[in-house]
Amino acid sequence: MKKTIFIRNISEDLMNFMKSDVEYDVIVVGAGCAGPAAAKKCAELGLKTLLIEKALDPGAKNVSGTCLNMAALGDTDLHYIMKCPIEREIHSMRTYHISEDRTTIFTEMPKEGVLLLSIRRDEFDKWHTEQARQAGAEIRLGTAVVDIIQENNTIRGVILESGEKLMCHVVIDGGGVNSIVGRKAGLIPKRSGKNMILYITAAVHLGEEIINERFKDEQGGCCIEYYLAPGTQYKTWPWIFPKKDTVTLGTGGYMTQELINDEFPTVEQYMRNFMNLPIIQKKLEGGKIESWGVHLEYDNKIEQKTKNGLILTGEAGGFVIPFLGEGMPEAFLTGIYAAKTAAACIKKGDVSQSALSEFYEDMIQENLFLQGFMYVGEENKKSILSKPDEEIVEMMQSVIMGGGFITNAVHTKWFKGVENGSIDEVEEAKTFLEFIQPYRQVSTDYMDIYREMRAQVNSNISEKSKNGSDEK
Amino acid sequence: MQIEMKFRYYDGDPGEFIKVIEDKCTGCGQCAKFCTTRVWEKVGKIYKPINLSNCVECGACWNVCMADAIDFGEPHGGTGVKFSYG
Repeated sequence: MKKTIFIRNISEDLMNFMKSDVEYDVIVVGAGCAGPAAAKKCAELGLKTLLIEKALDPGAKNVSGTCLNMAALGDTDLHYIMKCPIEREIHSMRTYHISEDRTTIFTEMPKEGVLLLSIRRDEFDKWHTEQARQAGAEIRLGTAVVDIIQENNTIRGVILESGEKLMCHVVIDGGGVNSIVGRKAGLIPKRSGKNMILYITAAVHLGEEIINERFKDEQGGCCIEYYLAPGTQYKTWPWIFPKKDTVTLGTGGYMTQELINDEFPTVEQYMRNFMNLPIIQKKLEGGKIESWGVHLEYDNKIEQKTKNGLILTGEAGGFVIPFLGEGMPEAFLTGIYAAKTAAACIKKGDVSQSALSEFYEDMIQENLFLQGFMYVGEENKKSILSKPDEEIVEMMQSVIMGGGFITNAVHTKWFKGVENGSIDEVEEAKTFLEFIQPYRQVSTDYMDIYREMRAQVNSNISEKSKNGSDEK
Repeated sequence: MQIEMKFRYYDGDPGEFIKVIEDKCTGCGQCAKFCTTRVWEKVGKIYKPINLSNCVECGACWNVCMADAIDFGEPHGGTGVKFSYG
């Protein structure tokens, strides 16, 4: 008897839910990293999906470090990303610590494998959006979302600048750090200059052969470079990332009163100082600045990532760790998890905040990569923000010598435990060290998958050129 | 070496996507201080986004405005800043 009532109630809810006047199951806002991943997965799961982007070309409004972490792409959900347009394979990392009287250089070089994939966001985001379209999602470019539609405390759709109203069961917000959807829904707070990082990037054209020569590592592979030098950053790491025939540079700092002061009247002064370092001038000699970027990052959690009918993903959901330079894999993963959440909850006929949140948070909690990097980000941020500048340079040196950010996070916790006489903290650090092992290096498994994915790309290319010649 | 930042933009009018709510502005100037493209200028006692056509849509001004005096919307679709390398 009880069972019958239960089934009848569910179907009544489901009936009310289904008969409502909606054009789409899911509307995804923003074609950055999270949006296309979400739209692709939604379409694959059979949902009627619309992806909206304000730029005419996906990627034209996006700024990031543009190096994809191979360890993250080892996740089964992200294998397809390995088929993206790649500028260069990155094999190692070099860090320069420049002081008044000397320069100290450290190189971290895995025995084998590719550490990172260097990409261009205009190429990558265009490719990624095309993957979503091919999976069955409808795409609208050059279209700005200006507001959300709320009814009975539930997000029911979005309003375009033309005034057009689009209704759906679930909105997935992939609109980035200042997303209008998340702000209108009251989930993205004004940061008031706290935990905010302002980054400037520049692309310098050098030519493929010059980059091969100037960014070569000891094993003949390609190297990304980090720099620590006075006057070039405020609690961040300036970097140079090689692309195919261009290198991108980035620097900036935490947006506090100290970031911009009499000595640094504008944040681009850090970039000027960086480009004017003698060692950088030599690296960029003969180069031409092709383009600039400015980007804000929010280095703190967004407490509530869901609302009735709404899921925040990627940077809109606070899934970014500026100190580690991590954000793209987190955006892909959370986009995909939001799609899976939407599919499951729409099927159940319950898109309430509690239903969405339970499903979404469970998937995030189960992903070791996301958990690991959030832990590392949190620990590293604590140490970098609490120390005076002189100590930060020392800390960065120990980070480099100690084998990277992960080791530093573990040591920070470990030493704190020893200092406090807390065996629990030491144990926690030890457990984490074991937990994080799979993510410390790119295993040969990932490389096998990578080779397989690239072989598929190459066979598609040769297939296409074969078909093309047949047509002629 | 003096290095000037130059940004590319789509063709078209982005509209007044950033506005100052005049009676809320305290004239503190944080918006102008954190703006990398000199959008904000002091007009009388308050700041206004005079050079909005330079805006790179980063949102720094909105985030540092403690007086909630900035209405930060979206430029018209298909206009505004355009980046190439990301």
